[in-house]
Amino acid sequence: MSNNYFNTLPLREQLAQLAKCRFMSMDEFSDGVEALKGKKIVVIGCGAQGLNQGLNLRDSGLDVSYTLRAAAIAEKRQSWKNATENGFVVGTYQELIPTADVVLNLTPDKQHTPVVNEIMPLMKKGACLSYSHGFNIVEEGMKIREDLTVIMVAPKCPGSEVRAEYVRGFGVPTLIAVHEDNDPKGEGLALAKAYAVGTGGHKAGVLMSSFIAEVKSDLMGEQTILCGMLQTGSLLCFDKMVEEGIDPGYASKLIQYGWETITEALKYGGVTNMLDRLSNPAKIKAFDLAEELKEIMRPLYNKHQDDIIDGTFSRVMMEDWANDDKNLLGWRAETAETAFEKTPAGDVEISEQEFFDNGILMVAMVKAGVELAFETMTAAGIIAESAYYESLHETPLIANTIARKKLYEMNATISDTAEYGCYLYNHACLPLLADFMKGIKTDVIGKGLDTTDTGVDNARLIEVNAALRSHPVEAIGAVLRGHMADMKKIV
Amino acid sequence: MTQILPSHTEMNSIKIENYTAVFGESFTLNNINWTLEPNQHWVITGANGSGKSALSAILAGAGERISGSISGLPKHIEIISFEAQAELIERELKKDDADIMDVISEGTPVREILEEGKAIYPEFDSALLDQLVAMFKLEPMLDRSFRKLSTGETRKIMLIRALANNPDLIILDEPFDGLDAASMQLLQDLLKSKIDAMAMVLVLNRFDEIPDFITHIAYTDQGKLQHSVDINNKQAYDDLYQLLHLKTTELSVPATDLSDRPPALNPNDPLVRLTNIKVAYGDATIIDGLDWTIEPGQHWQLSGPNGSGKTCLLNLITGDHPQCYTNNIFVFGMQRGNGETIWQIKQYIGYVSTALQWEYRVSISLRNVILSGFHDSIGVYTKSTDKQKAVADQWLALLGMKDRANEPYNQLSFGDQRLLLIARAMVKHPTLLILDEPCLGLDDINRQLVLALIEKICTSGDTTVLYVNHHAEDQISGISQFKQLEKLDAQSS
Ligand SMILES: NC(=O)c1ccc[n+]([C@@H]2O[C@H](COP(=O)([O-])OP(=O)(O)OC[C@H]3O[C@@H](n4cnc5c(N)ncnc54)[C@H](OP(=O)(O)O)[C@@H]3O)[C@@H](O)[C@H]2O)c1
Repeated sequence: MSNNYFNTLPLREQLAQLAKCRFMSMDEFSDGVEALKGKKIVVIGCGAQGLNQGLNLRDSGLDVSYTLRAAAIAEKRQSWKNATENGFVVGTYQELIPTADVVLNLTPDKQHTPVVNEIMPLMKKGACLSYSHGFNIVEEGMKIREDLTVIMVAPKCPGSEVRAEYVRGFGVPTLIAVHEDNDPKGEGLALAKAYAVGTGGHKAGVLMSSFIAEVKSDLMGEQTILCGMLQTGSLLCFDKMVEEGIDPGYASKLIQYGWETITEALKYGGVTNMLDRLSNPAKIKAFDLAEELKEIMRPLYNKHQDDIIDGTFSRVMMEDWANDDKNLLGWRAETAETAFEKTPAGDVEISEQEFFDNGILMVAMVKAGVELAFETMTAAGIIAESAYYESLHETPLIANTIARKKLYEMNATISDTAEYGCYLYNHACLPLLADFMKGIKTDVIGKGLDTTDTGVDNARLIEVNAALRSHPVEAIGAVLRGHMADMKKIV
Repeated sequence: MTQILPSHTEMNSIKIENYTAVFGESFTLNNINWTLEPNQHWVITGANGSGKSALSAILAGAGERISGSISGLPKHIEIISFEAQAELIERELKKDDADIMDVISEGTPVREILEEGKAIYPEFDSALLDQLVAMFKLEPMLDRSFRKLSTGETRKIMLIRALANNPDLIILDEPFDGLDAASMQLLQDLLKSKIDAMAMVLVLNRFDEIPDFITHIAYTDQGKLQHSVDINNKQAYDDLYQLLHLKTTELSVPATDLSDRPPALNPNDPLVRLTNIKVAYGDATIIDGLDWTIEPGQHWQLSGPNGSGKTCLLNLITGDHPQCYTNNIFVFGMQRGNGETIWQIKQYIGYVSTALQWEYRVSISLRNVILSGFHDSIGVYTKSTDKQKAVADQWLALLGMKDRANEPYNQLSFGDQRLLLIARAMVKHPTLLILDEPCLGLDDINRQLVLALIEKICTSGDTTVLYVNHHAEDQISGISQFKQLEKLDAQSS
């Protein structure tokens, strides 16, 4: 049975690890990929992260090959095709792991324990094992051989973005960490930095963090605002609209594409900009709704954070793994049967502005979710930079997946862990918001405010604008987005 | 734009329909269809020899009509042009001849020339004449002989005379030519003050001389009226501006920023050597056993049908095709797959293709699109030097987009985007310039411009050009090597 690593640490150390997060400056990367030059990098798994990280590393002049489980090679599975069609050498664990100086474990988190147990004995003495997510180390307490260096380089974007930004000459924000228990030669940081450069991440900003801070914040973000809130919001908004007599095709479309459209505004200018897209009366309405939502949902966010911090979440989820994913698969099937999922988007034109005007409640839900997740994470000791990336920054990326194929696509794209957490949140949140939803009418979801009442109280508007702009997620967001924008706008 | 008040009652619409006329032996205006409504003020513009003067002159009865009709011409038309000026001077010289017998003629004094219209036109405006004489400080000249004036002075006198004659329509062919800045401003103000009194047609070479009261622009090309543009139609106006600009600019390739050059290459090495290239996706073989060497200075044209692997081949060279790592590829002194980065390769390459245009989806200004060529990036993430910025501005000027440097790229037309991407590819004077169907989506003028630029670059000596196209007519004079790809037979793969 696995042993939660975080829980083995004394409180002081737990807090120190959670708070570990520093935005690195560009000149810390002046050595480029030097630390990895001439080293043999072997990637396990060739999925979303594996393939795209590998393409970037190779284009940065590094020696990359892939090892896949034997069945994937024998059956020429997609992962095998990904690697071979891109001209990579592919081999079995026995063939490649012993030759590797650095092994990148990019298999699904759920498989990490068996995979690592299988490859660890094959690894060269003094080699390096890398992850893109720290679940295995932190939540499962995986013990890695003492001679091995263990690092993490976690791009804060889906694999496709990791590649697309690199090809443009840029990168995606990336979190790096060294597992202090496994840094025998003290070279972990140098390797992690070189790896981040190899994927282009240094150009978009790198957070130097810890395995613990990464895991506890990543889990929190994905199950609450990123996936959970969008799933719950989709279901509630759809059912409400249909109940109020709005054409189901319209309702379906408003939601499916609405998240993407409104969070695009979030991406460029934070919560403030998202709300600025509304008319003044609508903005005040959204603000008030969000306040109400935050009050109702705060205990739920706290519970998620608590369960994540103390390991309850991962323990319960791992019980489900042991139980053949009974819950996960059941919830997945349930989601597929929801009215929203089964109603195709209607053939109606919805203008960009209309998504805002008729989706005031959706805007309120995003605002409430982002702020709550951020507030809860920072209250738990996670540093603002990290909390920002795991909440606001990733929301538009997840919203894009819903635009593609609704909740099915979202849940298929995210990890099993995120999916499990999302359903968990959804199940708790739906009943929690039942009363609130009774008071909701089509003015805030489906039809928009009555356009005749455009008047607002100046004092109230000033108050709302000030509150929006002074939320701490806006302050850190402005800094981090500014960093990206600076780079993009430099002349 | 100036509000034109409907006051010029004599003016009807002038309709020129299917009008063809010859001028002398060699010039024909072809099938002109043009309507000038009352209260419109036109500028006719176009390249030298495009027929802009001829078009204005047919309003005044010049040219020999072959077919078509002109209707609605007003009674009183004045035209000031090089030809009209020559005619008047000729007349004055003839007078001299006539007078030669008794007295030595001093020629007609300027005052008399100016007042000629008084007896002919009831609408003659004496007050205006006095005002103009004062304005242009011509009093000391009034008693001098007209034929003793300089060309510039003659032109001024004729202008003033034409205005004082107070016609229904005044045609001014290059009225600002040879005028100093102050006189030009004076004249422009003057014309502006008369816009309600007479219709105006100006022939101008230079776009930046177009006065602000002009409502419409006619553009002539090769004896045809190619475009008529309402000046309030910003899109059409910008397009025309650009086009005219290109036509009237002496073409040269802007210099580059020499401080940021990639490491020099061994001149004895080929730029590119592909050996026994094989590319396949699953069971489909795209390229099989291809060899190709590109020596420095050897310009190539690559062609082949769709699916013959042209783009794939280019991507092997640029490093954008993943199978470049499984083939025997030597580029810019590097054998691929030995620890080089794609940025080391791209620093030698300028590249434009339709795929690039699809991929170039970032919010960015026009200037930054060009600057990104220095960094081989889509978007700009690196600081550019002042020199680089200056070079980018020269390119913008060359493309006629000087005043639009900060406009957003993604709102441009396809053709304009393409032009910018071509500038982006050329901006660093790359060692190898790869142009994959560069003229796609470009109009005639811009295609000519791009082809001319490529020719210049071919002769510059710095850059080797690899040009891919379907259209045989877009041949480039500096290119002497041809490579033709064939689609592999599905059977053989
Ligand atoms: N997706 C993201 O946005 C994201 C972002 C940052 C970090 N990460 C992290 O990156 C890692 C990889 O995630 P991913 O999204 O790239 O996963 P993925 O797309 O599902 O790919 C997983 C790869 O692992 C292989 N695999 C699956 N089960 C395996 C097993 N038992 N043994 C060996 N190989 C196995 C799969 O190939 P076969 O099934 O063909 O063997 C596949 O190629 C995870 O740690 C994740 O948390 C993901």
